[in-house]
Amino acid sequence: MHVLASFEWSVIWDSQGALWGGFKHTMKAGVVGIVLAYLVGLVLGALRAHRIPILNQLAASYVELIRNTPILVQIFFLYYGLPVLGIHLDVFTVAWLSITIWGGAFMTENFRAGFEAVPQRLSEAGYALGFTRLQEFLYVTLPIGGRIALPSTINSAISVIKNTSLLLLIGYPELTYVANNIQSNTFRTFEMFTALAVYYLAIVWTLSALIRFLERRLALPEAF
Amino acid sequence: MNAQAAAPEAEPVVRAEDVRKSFGENVVLDGIDLSVSMGETLVVIGPSGSGKSTLLRCINLLEPIDSGRIWLEGEEITAKGVKVAQIRQRIGIVFQQFNLFPHLKAIDNVTLAARRVRHMSRREADARALELLSRVGLQEKAKQHPHQLSGGQQQRVAIARALMMEPRVVLFDEVTSALDPELVGEVLVVLRDLAETGMTMVVVTHEMQFAREVGDRLLFMDDGRIVEEGIPSDVLDRPKQERTKRFLRRSLQMAHSLEELSITDQGEVE
Repeated sequence: MHVLASFEWSVIWDSQGALWGGFKHTMKAGVVGIVLAYLVGLVLGALRAHRIPILNQLAASYVELIRNTPILVQIFFLYYGLPVLGIHLDVFTVAWLSITIWGGAFMTENFRAGFEAVPQRLSEAGYALGFTRLQEFLYVTLPIGGRIALPSTINSAISVIKNTSLLLLIGYPELTYVANNIQSNTFRTFEMFTALAVYYLAIVWTLSALIRFLERRLALPEAF
Repeated sequence: MNAQAAAPEAEPVVRAEDVRKSFGENVVLDGIDLSVSMGETLVVIGPSGSGKSTLLRCINLLEPIDSGRIWLEGEEITAKGVKVAQIRQRIGIVFQQFNLFPHLKAIDNVTLAARRVRHMSRREADARALELLSRVGLQEKAKQHPHQLSGGQQQRVAIARALMMEPRVVLFDEVTSALDPELVGEVLVVLRDLAETGMTMVVVTHEMQFAREVGDRLLFMDDGRIVEEGIPSDVLDRPKQERTKRFLRRSLQMAHSLEELSITDQGEVE
C-alpha cells in the first residue's frame, strides 16, 4: 500500500516524450527484425524441408549455433567482436541484424516443421498436374505449410520483440535503455519499470492479435 | 467401348515394356507389358499389394522404375533427360484420397495448374473450370472449400482438376475405395460418362460391376505380373487362370452369399 500511495504519476508523464522515443527505436529494430526473420525462416526452412544438399547442412549448423548460444553473446560478438576483424557496424545495424539472426534461426525451425507437415500426397497432386519443384513449393507446400507454421511463428516474433530490450547493453536507445536512464536519474525505479512493462504488454498484445487475425483468415480445416 | 474402332497400326497412347520395380527386397512390378489404345478404357483388378497402384504411379513418373521402358504417344518418357513436369501435364491422375488442395476453393483447385503452368488467364480458366465442374455436376459448389464437400463431391472435383489439363490419358487409382458406399455411384457415373466421350482411361478398381459395364478390356494383376487379360465379362465370368478364379471367388462382390466363404488354415478366404 505504501508503495502504491507514493506512486509518482508525474514521473511517467514527464518522461512520456523520452519513452515514446524509446518505443520508436524498439519498433524500428523489432519490425525490421521480425520481417527479416520471417524471410530468413521461409527460405532456410524450405531448404531444410526439401533437403537441398549443402545448403541444408549450412542452415542446420546456423540454427544449432544460434539456438545454443545466448543472444547477448551474439549481440556482443557483432558489436565488439567483429571490429577486431575490421568490420565496424553501427549500433542500429547491430540492433536489427542481431535479432534477425537470432529470430531467423527459430523461424527456420518453425517453417521447416510446417513444410514437413504438408502431406506427401498433396505435393504429389501438384507434381501430377505438371508442377516443377519450385512451382510445387510456391503453390502447394508454401501456402499449406506456411499456414501450419503460423501459430508457432507468433511465439518467435514475440520473443524477437522482447529481446530488443537487451540492445540497451550496446547503447541502442530503445525502451529499456530510455527507462533505465530515467530511473537512474530520478530514482523512481518502480514507476519507470511499471511504465516499461505496460509498453511491452501493449506491443506484444497488438502483435499477437495481428498474427492471430491472420491465422483466422487463413485457417485450414482440422483434417485435410 | 470405343477402342474396337482403333486401327491396329495406330500408336498406343500408353505402352510399357518389361517394367520392373522393387521397394527394397519387395518386387512390386515384375515385368509388366502394357498397351492402351486411344479411347480405350482399361480396367485393372487384383488383390491389394499386387502392384496395380504402383503401375499407375510409374506411368505418371511419380515412381522411378528400375528397368523397362514406358512410352506416351510414341515418345519414351522413361528416357534420360525427358522433361518430367511436361510429360505429367499430359497424363492425368485421380487418387484414392482425392488430394485436393485444402486451402483452395473447388474452382481454384481446378484452375491452379492451368493458370500457373499453362499461364491461362484467370477468366479463361474460370470459364473452362465451370464447364468441367458442371460436367461432374458440381457447378453450384465451385466456391466451396474441399472440407465443405462430401467425399464423392471432392473426388468429382479431383476428376475435373485432372481434366482441366486436357490430358491424353487419365489414370484412376481406386478412386471410390475411400468413399462411403452411398457415394460410390456418383463417382462411377462420372467415370462412365467420361469413358463414353472417348477419353483414354486406365482404371484400377475393386468395382466389378463397373469393370464389366464400362471397361473395354480388363487386366488381372497378382504379385506384380499381369496374370490374365481380356474382355471384362469373359475374364470375370470364365477366368482361365487359377489365381484369377481364386481372387474372384474371394472378392465378396462375386460370391453369391457369405455362406459360400470360409477361412482356411492359412488364414485365406476360400
